Parts: sequence; C-alpha cells; structure tokens
Amino acid sequence: MLVKTENLKKHFQIGRGQNLHAVDGLSIEIAENEILGLVGESGSGKSTFGKTLIGLHPTTSGKAYYKGEELPQKFTAADHLKYSRELQMIFQDPYSSLNPRMTVLDIVGEGISIQGQHTPHQVKELVAEWLTKVGLNADHMSRYPHEFSGGQRQRIGIARAMIIEPRFVVCDEPISALDVSVQAQVINLLDELKNSMGLTMLFIAHDLSMVRYVSDRMAVMYLGTLVEMGPSDRVFFEPQHPYTKLLIESNPEPDPRLERARGFVPIQGEITSPVNVGAGCRFADRCPRVSEQCLRETPPITQIASDHVVSCHLFN
Amino acid sequence: MTDSILEVTDLSVEFATYGGRVKAVRGVSFDVKAGETLAIVGESGCGKSVTVQSLMGIIPMPPGEITGGAAKLNGKDILGLTPKQANEFRGVKIGMIFQDPMTSLNPTMTIGDQIAETLMVHRGMGKQDAFNRAVELLDKTKISEAAKRAKQYPFEFSGGMLQRAMIAQSLACNPSLLIADEPTTALDVTIQAQILELMSELQRTENMSIILITHDLAVVARMADRVAVMYAGQIVESGTVDEIFYASAHPYTLGLRAAMPSNKTTREKKLTPILGSPPDLFHPPAGCGYFARCPYAMGSCETLLPPECLLSTDSEHQSRCWLQHPDAPEVQALFQPGRHQEEDPDAG
Amino acid sequence: MTNSTLLNPQLHDIENLDFSPSAAKQSAEQISRPSLSYWQDAWIRLKKNTRALVSLYIVVGLTLFTLVGPIVWQVDPALQDLNQLSQAPSLPKQAVFIEEHTRWQGIVLQDFPAEPAEFLDVLPAPANLRTAEEATTQAVRIAWDPVVGAGGYAVYRNQHLPESINDLGLPLGTKFAGNEVSYEDRLNVEGRDYYYSIVSTDGYDESDSYITLKVTPKIAITKSEALSRGLITEISNVKNGDVISLEFHPFGTDYLGRDMLARLMEGARVSLFIGIVAPFLYVMFGIFYGGFAGYFGGNLDAILMRFADFVVALPFLLFMILFKIAFGIGPGESGILPMLIALVLLGWPATARLVRGQVLQIRTQGYIEAARLLGAKDHYLIIRHIIPNTMGVILVTLTFAVPAAIFTEAFLSFIGMGVAPPTPSWGSMCNEGVKTMLSHPHELFFPALFISTTVLAFNLLGDGLTEALDSRMRSRE
Repeated sequence: MLVKTENLKKHFQIGRGQNLHAVDGLSIEIAENEILGLVGESGSGKSTFGKTLIGLHPTTSGKAYYKGEELPQKFTAADHLKYSRELQMIFQDPYSSLNPRMTVLDIVGEGISIQGQHTPHQVKELVAEWLTKVGLNADHMSRYPHEFSGGQRQRIGIARAMIIEPRFVVCDEPISALDVSVQAQVINLLDELKNSMGLTMLFIAHDLSMVRYVSDRMAVMYLGTLVEMGPSDRVFFEPQHPYTKLLIESNPEPDPRLERARGFVPIQGEITSPVNVGAGCRFADRCPRVSEQCLRETPPITQIASDHVVSCHLFN
Repeated sequence: MTDSILEVTDLSVEFATYGGRVKAVRGVSFDVKAGETLAIVGESGCGKSVTVQSLMGIIPMPPGEITGGAAKLNGKDILGLTPKQANEFRGVKIGMIFQDPMTSLNPTMTIGDQIAETLMVHRGMGKQDAFNRAVELLDKTKISEAAKRAKQYPFEFSGGMLQRAMIAQSLACNPSLLIADEPTTALDVTIQAQILELMSELQRTENMSIILITHDLAVVARMADRVAVMYAGQIVESGTVDEIFYASAHPYTLGLRAAMPSNKTTREKKLTPILGSPPDLFHPPAGCGYFARCPYAMGSCETLLPPECLLSTDSEHQSRCWLQHPDAPEVQALFQPGRHQEEDPDAG
Repeated sequence: MTNSTLLNPQLHDIENLDFSPSAAKQSAEQISRPSLSYWQDAWIRLKKNTRALVSLYIVVGLTLFTLVGPIVWQVDPALQDLNQLSQAPSLPKQAVFIEEHTRWQGIVLQDFPAEPAEFLDVLPAPANLRTAEEATTQAVRIAWDPVVGAGGYAVYRNQHLPESINDLGLPLGTKFAGNEVSYEDRLNVEGRDYYYSIVSTDGYDESDSYITLKVTPKIAITKSEALSRGLITEISNVKNGDVISLEFHPFGTDYLGRDMLARLMEGARVSLFIGIVAPFLYVMFGIFYGGFAGYFGGNLDAILMRFADFVVALPFLLFMILFKIAFGIGPGESGILPMLIALVLLGWPATARLVRGQVLQIRTQGYIEAARLLGAKDHYLIIRHIIPNTMGVILVTLTFAVPAAIFTEAFLSFIGMGVAPPTPSWGSMCNEGVKTMLSHPHELFFPALFISTTVLAFNLLGDGLTEALDSRMRSRE
C-alpha cells in the first residue's frame, strides 16, 4: 500500500463548543499506481480529507501512512519540503489557485526553484518542457494567469504539481469549475500523466460518472464517514449501501430512453449538519431501511467481498 | 400540432463593454409549445442565459442592447414593452428561477413575505391573504412545516430548500411559462434529483411550459422534450430530445456527447475532448462559430455562415451546418480529429 | 448526410461552396493579445479614465510646483513689500521716477482776507477744485478758489464718491485761514482713485456744501528709494521721467506685503511634507502590523486588533495638544513635529485593518496552499505571494491617506493648533486670509483653492486607481 489512513479524524472548532466533524474516522488504503475515486456531496468531508492527508490541515486524531512511514500529525515547512517530491495536489478553482501576480514561468517553476537544485536556466527549460507536455505552448511562460481560460489554467496547475515528479497526487475536484468539453481535456491529460509517470492518485469529485470513468476503485463518503468502498464499476452498477444507492439513482444519465425508463422517486430530506454529531449511523434520518439499531450504534465497516467494504448494519 | 406559447425570432443581443462590443446572442430563433420542456444547452459564454434574460427584460439596457429580432408570448410582443408594461407580464405570465438561490432571494425579508410581495404587487391581494397563499405555495413545493418555514429568513434554509422557495415564488401568479436558468447547478446530485422531480410534477399539475437552461446533458436527457444546442451565440442544433441524443447531426453536439462520461464509457473507450476554446465574441467569425474546433470543417465553413437546415420532412430537427447541404461530402471523408493543432501530422 | 433542397429552400441559391476539408490555420491554443503584467494593465486602464488622468497631471504639477517652483520664482516668502500691502493679483505696476520730495509752500492769496469780513448764513463750497500739479503717490497737491466769508477749509479724502455731507471720508486736515487755498496730501497715498472734498468753514462751523474732485495719483518712486528696494543697481542709469516696473506679485500680496506666490510655494512644502511623510509612515506601519496579524491569526491576531481598536478610540485633537505641550512648543511656534507624530501614531489602524483583511482573504487562496505544499517557508510566502497581492490595496490606501493628512494639517493650522505664523502653510494662510476676506479676498482665495484642488486631485486619482487595480483583481471570465 502506498497510502494508508487509520481512523483519520479532522474536526474544526467553530464558535464556542461547536465541533465540526468534517472527517470522522476514515480508514482507507490506496495501492501503488491505483486511482481511488472519492465521492460525496457537500458536507461529506472529502476535500477536507484530501487536504488533511497531504498535510495542509493538521489531523485531530488517527494516523496517515505513506510508504509505510507515519506522516506527521502537523506538517512544518520542512516536512512539506521533504514530502514535496512525493505528495502533491491539484486544486479545484483554477482562478484562485494561481498567483495572479506571477508569470507562468514563476508559477510552474516554483517547486523546483524552492528545491534549489537547478539553475534558473535549467528551471526555464524544465518549465518549457512541461508546458508542452500539458498541451500549452512553451512561450506562454512569460504570460500571466489572467490571460488564460479556465481549462488552460488548470493545466498550468497540473504542470506546477507534476514538474517535481511526485508519486502521489490528490486531485481535489480538478474539473468541477470547467466546461464539459474542457473537462475531458484535463481528464485525459491526468490519465496520460498517470500512466507515463506511474502516479498514484486520490481523485476527489462529486460527478459520479466521471469518477467511475477515471478511477479503479471508488469510495463514498457521507458526513465525514466512509459508507462504501470497492471497485468503481461494482460500486457504480451494484451499490450496496442505501446512500450509495440513492446517489447512483439520483445521478442522471445522458440517455433519454434510460431516463424515461427509470421510475426512481428521490428521497426527500437533506444532509444534516456535521456539527456535534452523536452516535449512530449518520444516514439514519434519511435511510429508507433504517432500524432501531441504526440510531443507537455506529455501523462497523464490514467486508462483503475481497475488495469491497460497506458500513451498514444491514450487512452485519 | 400544439400551439406555441412563446415564439422567438432571430434575436440578437449585444453588450457594450470596456473592451468593445460583445455580440452575445447572434440570431437565435426557437419556440416553446404549451406544456412542454425545452432545454437550451451549451457551455459557458454561449449566450443561453443572455437569451432568456433579455426575454424577461432583466438585462440592463445600457450596456446591453437588443439589436434585432422579435419575441412573442401568446402572440403578443414582449421585447418592445415599456418598463411598466414589462413589469406586468414579468413574474406573472413568465416565472423565472436562477442558479444560486442564496443570492437570488432577499436576505432581509422572510421567505413568506417575499412570496407574498409578488402576490400583493401583481394580484393586488391583501397582506394576510397573500401570506396564506405563500404558505400554500411552499407546501406545494414540498417544504415541510410550510407555515413555520414561511416566517424564516433565507439563511435558515439549505440550498435545496431555497430553490424550492424560489420555485414557489415563481409559481405565485400561475405563469404559463417557467424559465429555469441552471436551477440545479449549485446543488448536490441527490437534491438535484428532488428538484428536477418537483419541477416535472409541477409542470403536470400547473400545466406549465418550462425553458430549462443547463450545461449538463444528463439533466437534459432527464427533463427535456425538445432541445436547442447553443454555441457562440447561435443555436447550432435543435430537435426532440431523442433526435438530439440518438441522431445528433451537428459536430458540436457530437463533440459534447463524446466528451461526457456515461455509464457506457469505459477506460478503453476514452473520452474525446473538444480541443481549443470558443471564439472571441467581440469579433465573431463571419462563418460558422465552431469552425476552428470542428473535425469536419470545410473550406466554406470559415467564410460563410450556414443557415439552419432541416434534416427530414417529418420533423423539426435542424442543424446549422454546411454538412446538411445536399452536395456536401460524407463525413468520413472529412474527419480530421486533430485538425485544430498545428503539430498534428495528419492534417490535410 | 444528403438532403434535398426541397427540404431546405434557403440553400437553393447558394452556390460555389467549397467542400474540401479545411486545414488547420492556427493552433487553437494561441493567445493573440500581447502579454500584460498587472501594472501595465492597470496603467492602461488608468489612462482611459480621463478624470484620473487629469488628477494625475495635477498631482505631478503640484509636485513640480513645490520642488522646482522656488528655483524658478526666487522671491523670499518672508520679505515684506511694505509699499504693496494686500495687493490684489495684477501685472507688475509701473512707477515713474521723480525727484525727492520737497516741501510745498502751498497757495496763500495775498489779496484775500484770512478772516471773514462778515459771517454768512450760508457758506458756499469752494469752486474750481483742482490738482495744482500732477498727482503722484509721493504727494497730491490740490488747490481751490477762495470763498467769500470763509475762515478756513476742511479737507476730506474718500475712496469712493461721497454720497452726502456725512460721507466725505477721512478728514485729512483743516486750513484755518480763508486765503490758504491749497493742500498737500502725503498720507499713504496709493495709486488708486481718491475723492477729495473741500468744505468751507467760518472758523466755527462747517458749511453744508462741499466740492469733490477725483484724483488718481500716478505711482512714483525716487531714485534713492528704488536703489534701497533693489529695483535698480545704479542711480546714474536712470533719470526722472523714466518708467520702471515695481516688484511683480502675480498672486498679489498679503496683509504684511509678502508675495503670495512665494508663500504658497513654501506652504506647499509644509503641507505636502506632512501630507506625504505622515501617511507614508503610518501606512508602512499599518502594513506590517496588519500583515502580521492577518498572517498568523489566532490569539495574536485578536490581541493586535483589539489594540488597534483602542487606538482608533483616542481623540486626535487632544493628542495634538498634548504633544504640543510635551514638546514644549509655545503658542506662535511652529508645531510641525507634534502634528506629524500625532498623525502617525493615531492614523495607522485603518490601514492595518485593511491590510489584515486582504491578507486573510489571500490566505484562503489556492496558490498559498500550493506554495506550502511545495515547501515554501513563512517568510517566502509573505514576501513572494502575499505582499505583491496586497500592493493594490496599499497603493489605494496611500492615495487616499495623503489628501486626508493634507486636509487635517490645513484644518489644524487654520484653527491655530498646527503650524503657526510666520511659517507659511496653506492652512495658516487661510487663517490670515479670513480676516481680510471681504476687502482683499485674494488672500483667502488662493490658499483655499490650492487646498481644495490638491485634495480633490488626490481623491479622484485614488478613485481611478481603485478602479484600475480592482477590476484587475477580479479574474476575467
């Protein structure tokens, strides 16, 4: 396993006595060269998990492991520097993830400049090489972010993360802010780079169809907990957890006949707040198969197949 | 053939900005029939929002300007109205809901008061009557404990509930047409399913037509009866939802569908992106707007704007494309997938 | 995909279409416009804004006025031109050279009685009031015909035409003999219109009638005077009758005869010194304070900001007075230093808050996290990422802080709490000008005009800058 977490928790103190349980005990494993997709709706904690994993947030409790070594609970700048050639991130918003006052050369070259092992001339060459690799022109390096479209900016962000040749990349909703026709450009690029560089990825998104397309395995989060994890196709076509079922059934398909044939009536009700959560299953108040046990006890993680786990009392 | 309740002919809208004049909408024509859902689908910048906003008269007229075309609701012109006349039809005959409910509702008024306001202004109802009706409408949009909720402020509502409240407000005056501008883009997928379901149900019970603006083809597949695909300020293809999905004619529609993952795509069958970006609408191309990115582009496509062409005699399916010309070659002979990149060795 | 043209009649008349596959013309990733950095783009935007551009020119002009002006207009602002007190702005006055003054004998008639022979009931006014010779500012010599029954004559001078016997003006003197029919006026004679009136008296009462003469004396100067005033270098070069230009005061002079233009330039130095140095200092401090608080956040931020709130609550005027006393500056002495210190000590919280807010906002941006992931240290983040992105806000703050400080200084000097005479500052010049506002408005008008224009120009420039920089801060699309 390249990356592993054990009961990772991240809570935020908001106001007096208000504890936001953003990530509430997540245990996952990601094998080398694998893409694990992480889906969930707003409030699920998926973005927070991704950031906590690579050290942008200090953990509240639980452990994270990289290549068998435990990662620090709180990363210092030196820790980040040490792990920068291993752990990197692609950010969600192409408009705020690039410093508007820096040229593309500075932005993409920042990682290797900080490392300090290359001359400025070498940095420039590497930046040129990488700009071409992501599908832009090398002479774009003297330009500023505001001159590029969303998709192009996202590619600059990818070049920035990849130029230092990390092993593990967290992609935090890399395509949510882009148009459909451009999303495929970025996805294909990520796929290409993953194969050519032998990367391992955590792909966080809310678009189920895209996650299924991109990832090998898929994990579903609800209110900070893991509800189901398994091979993407299996989770997508044969969801086991009631919430996963709800998600899949709610997800529209670009296929009118299929849509007409669906008789799905969506469950009413909304996600409750992740503040000061108590015991019991998080999904209990919306679940169509809820029982008394669900309200009392937090369901354990049950292995229902060799690589498929569910967190639900129905499978106990 | 059912009557059209809305007919838009050759609508063109421009904006004066500090960088020049943007030709956001360039000759758009469509109609909406009674009781049906028309989806206008396109990516950001294609002009879909501007089109419906100018129908509603909510575009500030400097810097915006309707430079051509006509729009008729039940036979009556709605573009040349005075502000007073526009106020009477806006919100009454046509209701509208927007993308971000958080910013579309007044944060300093209770939900009930906002809906009641519509009724008091347009229907002349008294305050108490209007409020009661508001509670009824909230109930209709499946907000639980409607009476209690009507006294709450927008910040106490979640995103999905706010969208329901906005739908309730738009229904207040029994409009015959509801315009929904990306109503679920900001919502989670489970909430989206609820809202779309609600809209379908209300369409049946209230006998409304819906214009649904979206960039999500999957939502179109779920909701639409007919579809208009927009690109660079023009409608490039329109037809029934089945025609658009199963008999796509315009290269842009084909490109969009190939770029979207569905339950059928697999890792082996890759997504095909559309490379490049939309054209500059300060100086729109003289020919087809999609020319620079089209893998089937021909010589005339660059200089001559193709007219909308029907595909067959027994439907309204049309495509704005020179491929529809009787003398155009078969597409296989034209296909150049990497055409838009200089480095492509197979170009030409 | 073939179609019959019956289906699409609009295609019917279109011929000669080129159906050959079109080769790629240019890469779809091309960017056509030239690259613009943040400042270049902001500058272009600013230039398009006419108001801001004009304001910029005014500010530059003002700077030149202050720095280069005294080199070009070399007049000592403290020098008093006693001959031209409170002069309105005008072209240089011409003066004629004349001889030194000699006493005038006057006209005493021999064949007329000094005492009246009999006392008349009605005593007429003298006739033929005239100037005996050409009137100059050295002396005005008037003469009149004697009046039978007069025992003397009273001479009055007014600056406007008298309307009645009670409006004759300044009594210059009385002749106590009926045959003394002349008078020489040397009392502060200026080159303006005077109305001399003569009233006969019989030794006891004055008559009710009078005669008036309008006299406009020519400005005259003697050679020795001109020499002492530095208008000529050698007496031998000039002779009587030559015309010479007196000291030129384009903006006039104040009540002490000091050249307004030179004082305005000197005042500009004082006003702008305080107006620029004070904001500069307190904005610098505010940047560090606010940046620190915003970057580190948490309890440190809370403490720092509470202290800033406390400083805001302090009363400015009170502190000014306290500092003045503390520095031992008495009334009438120049209080530049305490004013500067008070401005700096009390002015920084606004900037600190602004910068802190900006820093807090920038901290949430993705590029900060990205840089941290790449191993950036705190100081690198601050210098390379945070500060450059606050520059816009800082520049705008500075541009608005300057007119506020200029105005504060002007106000304080005006009420006597700031710079005191003789040190000129626009504010103290206004203070002096108010006293003669009705009679010599130019003394108030010019310093007030300069203050207003400067403050307005800086404010409009600040507005323009905000627009130019801010819309750049918003990302396009």
